[in-house]
Amino acid sequence: MGFNFNRKAVVWFAAIIVAVNGFFPAVWIFLTALKTETELIKSPITYLPQAPTLANFETAFTAQPILRFMWNSFVVASLSTVLCVLVSALAAYALTRLRMPYRNLIMSVLLAVAMFPLISLMVPLFKVMRELGLLNTYLALILPYAVLSLPVCTLVMASFFQDIPPDLEAAAMIDGCTRVQALFKVVIPLSAPGVFTAAILAFVNAWDEFLLALTMMSRVSMRTLSVGITLYQGEFAFPWPLISAALIIAIVPICIIIAIFQERVVGGLTSGGVKG
Amino acid sequence: MTDAAISTRKDMSERKLGMLLLLPAAVLLSLIVLYPIATLLFTSLHSVSNANPQAGEQWVGLANYARAFDDDRFWHSLWQTVLYIVITVPGALLMGLGLALLANKPFTIKWPVRLGLLLPWALPLVFCGLIFRWFFEYETGIVNDLLVRLGAEPLRWLSSPTLATIAICITIIWKSSSFMALMLLAGLQSIPKSLYEAAEVDGASKWQQFVEITLPMLRPAIFVALIFRTITAIQTFDIPYAMTGGGPGDATETLAMYIHKTTLDFLDFGYGSTLATLMFLLSLVATSGYLKYTRRSASRSGED
Repeated sequence: MGFNFNRKAVVWFAAIIVAVNGFFPAVWIFLTALKTETELIKSPITYLPQAPTLANFETAFTAQPILRFMWNSFVVASLSTVLCVLVSALAAYALTRLRMPYRNLIMSVLLAVAMFPLISLMVPLFKVMRELGLLNTYLALILPYAVLSLPVCTLVMASFFQDIPPDLEAAAMIDGCTRVQALFKVVIPLSAPGVFTAAILAFVNAWDEFLLALTMMSRVSMRTLSVGITLYQGEFAFPWPLISAALIIAIVPICIIIAIFQERVVGGLTSGGVKG
Repeated sequence: MTDAAISTRKDMSERKLGMLLLLPAAVLLSLIVLYPIATLLFTSLHSVSNANPQAGEQWVGLANYARAFDDDRFWHSLWQTVLYIVITVPGALLMGLGLALLANKPFTIKWPVRLGLLLPWALPLVFCGLIFRWFFEYETGIVNDLLVRLGAEPLRWLSSPTLATIAICITIIWKSSSFMALMLLAGLQSIPKSLYEAAEVDGASKWQQFVEITLPMLRPAIFVALIFRTITAIQTFDIPYAMTGGGPGDATETLAMYIHKTTLDFLDFGYGSTLATLMFLLSLVATSGYLKYTRRSASRSGED
């Protein structure tokens, strides 16, 4: 009995540590967002807001075009996700289901090139986009972001494609499908969880990216959320309650996504990493 | 037609189809990676200043590289980057392993633990930097509040080079340990329970089980996680940018931040490209380590 109780206590203790470690920063900025500037400079600091206010959230919406930033992030992240998933699905199919010479080598080269640190390509990418007249357009971020997630998406989908019995595809082809039709009508629908996981990973990667967004988009109206958030800070002072409110607004969409798709995301991260 | 001839023809068409399906990836990678790499190398051998566009691009040979060799700020930013790598990669591994072991307990309600691991992973790096900057504020930050409550002196975290480096490392470790934990958790869950049961029968202690079963079985997952982390750590930018902006002075500046400043603030494309090439070489080492490992494990598992 005592042993049982101990075991339970250990499990609870473990759950609390992991949850607190993960949630604490978000909880703390939420509490900060409810405080006023005057409450903030009290010493010793208060933990719970004494006179909770939503004024900071109001200011967060008016001080900067945060909804515009969010829209930009949304457009860039979703279009780059579509592009990335499509390109890597085709590549993963070719490399797992077709009899190709050197396919392991091609896979390695593909991954090596795609794993290249985009940061070190910031300068030439900036020049390429300038020459193409794409600076301050969504495409300037959509294309690099699609590459950013290409390795992980290819790995995730390859691992799902591998598990589909070849007979199913053969059956579809006997029924008159071409190989490409079989891909879109049999292989991809059957790997829907994998495709979906890859899409979430690509979306979060694009949503989080900062340096390229900072470099390619100089116009305020084209800023993405991760860059836009830094515009709330003053020249010398940091209005923490306001920044916290903006941060909370900014993390809500991504929180909703991971809360809904948590199992998929965990499964995807691990299949992409460990099997890869 | 013989069977062999039919199958060769089928192979040929499969090969063609395969090439066709790989084409989009090839085009995208050429535009976003290969062509830029070529221009990067080209520009690094030229003097290109956007502040003075009339001067054009002048061939300077290896002068930019020689300049980097004599540039204290470059060496400092490189040193700082290496420092972040050697502290935060093992740090995140240890913390991630701890979290993974905790998260591997049999919970009845799974979502708090799962979200506790996912939230730091999904939080953009810049947000993370801003939040921890707020934690480390001198007068109003919670870190100093806790220090005072424990009877210690409050510290000026972000205005001393050493303390700022420590604060940044803590932030990076917190942020990246969740990803480590998720990868290691999958490794932990793939270890057969029977191994532990057998060890229990043989009278092995928990610690012995950890050292003799868990760690060896986790080795592949640990290795992949480490290389992934190293590749991203080479590019460290967002967190120091948000926490200190590279300051005090340029004490906490990383190579990526210096490249960014050289190019976009000083508009020195030539020298910026040289610095970026040097960073590229650094990451090449880490990537080739990853590829060597995957190729070895692929051949071990008997794949073609």
